[in-house]
Amino acid sequence: MNNGAEPQGRHSTNSAVPALRSLLPVLVVLTLIALVPLLSPSNRFLSLAISAGINVIALYGLSVLFGQTGILSMGHAALVGVGAYTAAILARDFGIGFWLALPAAALTSAVFAMIVGIPSLRVGGHHFVIMTFAFGQLLAIVLTNGGDYTGAATGLDIVGPVTLFGADMGDLTRYYLMVVAFVAIAAVASWAIINSPYGRTLRAIRENEKLAASLGINVGGHKIGAFVVSGIFAGISGVLLANFLGHISPTQFASFPSIYLALMVMIGGARLIAGPLAGGILVAFLPEVLNLDPVQSRIVYGVCLIAVILLLPEGLIAGIVAAVRKVFVAKPNERQELEHSAVSKASEARR
Amino acid sequence: MQAVDIFIQQILNGLSIASVITLIAVGVTLIFGLTGIINFAHGEFLMIGGIVTWLAVSAGLGFPLAVVLAILAVGLMGYVLERGIFRFTLERPTNGFIVSLGLIVVLQHVVVLFWNPNQKSIPRPLTTVWDVGGVRIASVRVMVVMITIVVVALSFRMITASRYGRALRASVEDRDTAALMGIPVRRYITGVFVLGSALAGLGGALLIALFPITPFIGGTMVMKGFAVALIGGLGNIYGAVAAGLILGIVEGFSAGYGFSQWTDAYPFVLMILVLLFCPHGLFGGTSGPRMAS
Repeated sequence: MNNGAEPQGRHSTNSAVPALRSLLPVLVVLTLIALVPLLSPSNRFLSLAISAGINVIALYGLSVLFGQTGILSMGHAALVGVGAYTAAILARDFGIGFWLALPAAALTSAVFAMIVGIPSLRVGGHHFVIMTFAFGQLLAIVLTNGGDYTGAATGLDIVGPVTLFGADMGDLTRYYLMVVAFVAIAAVASWAIINSPYGRTLRAIRENEKLAASLGINVGGHKIGAFVVSGIFAGISGVLLANFLGHISPTQFASFPSIYLALMVMIGGARLIAGPLAGGILVAFLPEVLNLDPVQSRIVYGVCLIAVILLLPEGLIAGIVAAVRKVFVAKPNERQELEHSAVSKASEARR
Repeated sequence: MQAVDIFIQQILNGLSIASVITLIAVGVTLIFGLTGIINFAHGEFLMIGGIVTWLAVSAGLGFPLAVVLAILAVGLMGYVLERGIFRFTLERPTNGFIVSLGLIVVLQHVVVLFWNPNQKSIPRPLTTVWDVGGVRIASVRVMVVMITIVVVALSFRMITASRYGRALRASVEDRDTAALMGIPVRRYITGVFVLGSALAGLGGALLIALFPITPFIGGTMVMKGFAVALIGGLGNIYGAVAAGLILGIVEGFSAGYGFSQWTDAYPFVLMILVLLFCPHGLFGGTSGPRMAS
């Protein structure tokens, strides 16, 4: 179900240049975003942008899992939660700071992803999404009942400043810039995975599991691997989130945040390298632009999710790109790609 | 003697919870098992059934009329959502699942928007409490159990013995052949969805007769419903009833013996274990939803 809007997947085998071309716009946009503090934006804008950026980091992991491997996790916020709680507990019990918490949280989230992934992936087909959802809910309940260790329903405070080379990063603008840098790293990492032989293997599994297995690809192992990779992204996003908010509680990582993450990746389009960035920014700023209260904005999110799934299963951005291409049908090879995508869509529909 | 009393009391309390869970689970087992639609918003259907009952009773209608209204309203909602949304996802159940998660968010917050997020309760429709040898039996709980037994028995008969039920099961077995035999398979999918939704509406009406509810009750209830449906075997009403009884009584006990904070975790744990070790359920069912594939 490769579509015309994602050329890098097919060309990457021949040369790295077209692949780089797909990353470039993302880096340009991120550079522009990093220049925003020069316009002295409001604190509210910066806070929203930081939350959006933290989500985008997790979304890049989700894009490897869902976009490349075709596995959807509906409990992804739980993995972010594992990262956040790891950071908070390490800071509280061992006085471990931000920079050491990053690899530690990445590790615990990866391990948790494996613990969830191994049994979940044993369960075939669409039962898998139900499993991830159940595990996500279960984690919130465990955290709520964890007593003093996890702070129960009230959650944990995270203390200790975030410093970089002696500079205090607690300042909103500095934290903003740091998150932008992390987003850039996440984008490059996800791009590197997508354009590596490993990414090709994952796509082979997505397109045809049985065929991939018959070529000697360890389908189960790679699926769990993709889950673990997405867990690493989620863990890092969790550390950034905990240090940004200063306080975490179980409800932040229960079912709604997971649905929210899935919505963002769906809206942006999981297969485009720009997708997670676009989805995260759109979903974070849409209610602000439309001036909605939280209840209304959640209704809008829900409706958007349903509409995107029914009308643009490739994601909003990919849908727009495809529509633009259809209007300005340009090069013959692109037309061929569109036809190819139509054919594969038809075959997809038959399945 | 005291311990025995508590024991019996917990079984009786568990039975009434089990009734509501069974109603959800029968809806889920029919919809998921026979049509392949994974509707996680089923718990929200239940919640809306409760809200409709609450609105009707608050408007001065009697409880029986309120129950009928809840069933009709949620059944109608099921019809609209199946025709408007879920039928476009039949080819890809995962999309249906994601859509239903979107629906959860929408339905919950629409209710919050109009009727605030606070707890809602109605005066108990039956207030008599019988005292049988030290065990207190609330008549409202007996009513809930009786209604559930009748409704589930009727659904069971409809699926197993009636002409429609046979045609329905034929369409699950082999959709194309069933269609060739002149069975309107599409209309049957809609019918099952509406029936399941109406059961959720009834479940909601009975739930609010037992406990106060909030607009966020759906999440845990639907997980219980799915857990029970999967444990019982998909499409197997008999299994859903048995598994619903087990879960309800386990919950009654854990609440009675001081593990109530873990009550919400049981369905998740049970479901994960069942999916892992016996994906066809303990009592056997259709071998997964096949109508859609």
